[in-house]
Amino acid sequence: MIKTVNLTKVYNEVSVLHIESIDIPKGQSFGLVGNNGAGKTTYFSLLLDLIQPSSGYIENNGILVHESEDWKPFTSSFIDESFLIGYLTAEEYFYFIGDLRHQSKADVDALLAQFEDFFNGEILKQKKYLRDLSKGNQKKAGIVAALIGNPEVIILDEPFANLDPTTQIRLKQIIKDLAQTKGVTVLISSHDLMHVTDVCERIVVLEKGEVVKDLETSPATLKELEAHFSGEKIV
Amino acid sequence: MINRFLSFEWKQFSRSSYFKKGIAIKIVMAFAVLYFGGMALLLGVGLYFILKKAMPEIDPMTTVNNYVLYWFLFDFMLRYFMQQLPVMNVKPLMSIPVKRNTIIYYLLGKTTLSFFNILPLIIVVPFSTVLLVQGYPVIQVVAWLISFVAITLSLNFINFLVNKNNLVFYTVLVLVATFGALEHFAIFKISEPAGYAFNYLYNTPYLVILPIVILVGLFYATFKYIKKGFYLDDAISKKVKEVSGSDLSWLNRFGAVAPFLKNDIKLIVRNARPRQVMMMSFMFLFYGLIFYTQETYRDMPAILAFASMFITGGFLMTFGQHVPSWDSEYYKLLMSQNIPYKTYLESKWYLMVAAVLLSFILSTPYIYFGWDIFGMIAAGAVFNIGLNSYLTLFGGALNRVPVELNVKAKAFSNTNGFNPTQLLIGLPKFLLPMLIFYVPYKLISFNAGLIALALVGVLGIVLKPYIFKLIEGVYQKGKYKTIAAFSEKQ
Repeated sequence: MIKTVNLTKVYNEVSVLHIESIDIPKGQSFGLVGNNGAGKTTYFSLLLDLIQPSSGYIENNGILVHESEDWKPFTSSFIDESFLIGYLTAEEYFYFIGDLRHQSKADVDALLAQFEDFFNGEILKQKKYLRDLSKGNQKKAGIVAALIGNPEVIILDEPFANLDPTTQIRLKQIIKDLAQTKGVTVLISSHDLMHVTDVCERIVVLEKGEVVKDLETSPATLKELEAHFSGEKIV
Repeated sequence: MINRFLSFEWKQFSRSSYFKKGIAIKIVMAFAVLYFGGMALLLGVGLYFILKKAMPEIDPMTTVNNYVLYWFLFDFMLRYFMQQLPVMNVKPLMSIPVKRNTIIYYLLGKTTLSFFNILPLIIVVPFSTVLLVQGYPVIQVVAWLISFVAITLSLNFINFLVNKNNLVFYTVLVLVATFGALEHFAIFKISEPAGYAFNYLYNTPYLVILPIVILVGLFYATFKYIKKGFYLDDAISKKVKEVSGSDLSWLNRFGAVAPFLKNDIKLIVRNARPRQVMMMSFMFLFYGLIFYTQETYRDMPAILAFASMFITGGFLMTFGQHVPSWDSEYYKLLMSQNIPYKTYLESKWYLMVAAVLLSFILSTPYIYFGWDIFGMIAAGAVFNIGLNSYLTLFGGALNRVPVELNVKAKAFSNTNGFNPTQLLIGLPKFLLPMLIFYVPYKLISFNAGLIALALVGVLGIVLKPYIFKLIEGVYQKGKYKTIAAFSEKQ
């Protein structure tokens, strides 16, 4: 589904990302971990054509991301608060995204109904603008908005950060469902090793812009990741 | 501690984004500052002589005192719209061990150094100097000067107090309008008692104590007000208002553009900055009054063409120049969503066209000045729709300054929409219509000029698909740069 080939991003002659090759098949839940500055967000930004690759390319379902816009209809994402429109209420925001993805109001309502638990009564019918919601609730709204319109690829940057424990658990279930039962390719990044190993079938560790580990998740993965990250600190 | 604050202030100033903007903008800014400063200075020096010449039988000092009230009202309104209060900067200081009073004194001290307090000084100090040179009594002039400064600073603090209160503002607005009208039609001249009061103040220098007392009182009122609100959940953090979703589904008839139109309308209604722009653009409607009422401009139709352009083009120019900056806060969303640039831009275009049409309808009272004038406004409207709208969108593509939606614009401390490219793009908006009107007017007739203006506009409307493709290309080309610029924190 998503093919990354010889991708590099260079800022002021400093290389921040260099990925020779990552191939993510359809329906995989893919996790990206790495310390600050490892290049996670850079990679996601490249995937969404928000920045230009210095060399190489990403192919999303056979479409060159930086050349054509045809990947947009089946790809959705939530990277940070700049994906929210602060002066809308949550409902208005969902309907707006729905409009963009050619979903009727009823379609959106039907989807939202599935997430009643997830919202925990704090998102809908609040009569508040998104900018006035707490960080965690903003995130919930953003993540659910990324699910509108049956996207085939969903990209979430740090989806677990700022969420309360209950919501984290619910979100994990949602992400698993998406990949396993609906065949959606889900890409997430996280600092929380436990969450990623719980959710993702495959985990890639980035370090200073390069892939240092590419693991199929197994019961041993968490230990391996913990060893990797703590080892780095000590040596 | 104050020293430390001052050094922060200096850093904030010298590291602010507009100093990084290259030499051109610095020169333009310097010119602007020099120009306004120079004009103020000239006015200050010349005021006495101008008044003396215009009304030789009245003492210029008396005239000044008679009308100084209007100056203060104008000053106050300008402040209300433009002066930003430095409340926000205080947030990081709240959790560290600094005495609250120190911070507040500093804050208040800082507001007194605002541009709005310095500008009057540049006028009044030279004026007073001239008075002294002319042999006016020293004590009286000095006391008057002190009173003036005290009143200016009082306005500064009043503005602080009423800034969040629309009621006070509209009351002031209505009062000014009423007294202005009463004055104009010579029914009741408020300037007379006010003038009398100010003259009395001038003639009895020891009364200078009065404005000073008021100033001190206001200072402490403001001090108390801030101190009371010196908690995160009060003045500093935003108040959360309950909102009701608005149904704009009637806009759905616009098809693909509808979601954006709905959004843009909410954008304007729900955010401080666009609302401010909206108000400003409303003022443009009255632009014609300045020009049409003066005999001198009657014989300079090119100037009138220029004015007519502004009457219907206020919103187009003030709002349009910030496309796409209005959406800077969530630009990444728009760029990664399922959105063709064209629909996005078209929605802004429709909005501007609607505003031009609305302004045109509102401008019908100008028929009072004759059909020639109204024809000119009509031609200007067509030109605005058919050409200026594109120029504005085109200029926007090159304007990559993020806009903070819910923060009012500061005067002279942000350069949103003010950069050399913007200036260059702006020039044709004013010069082209004058030229297009003037040539046929000179060669053929007044009506030929109007027709030429309108024709250019119609041509632009006809060529819309083609022109939009061009504009879209420019936006597409600058996409990465724009995203990068918008995600920079200010």
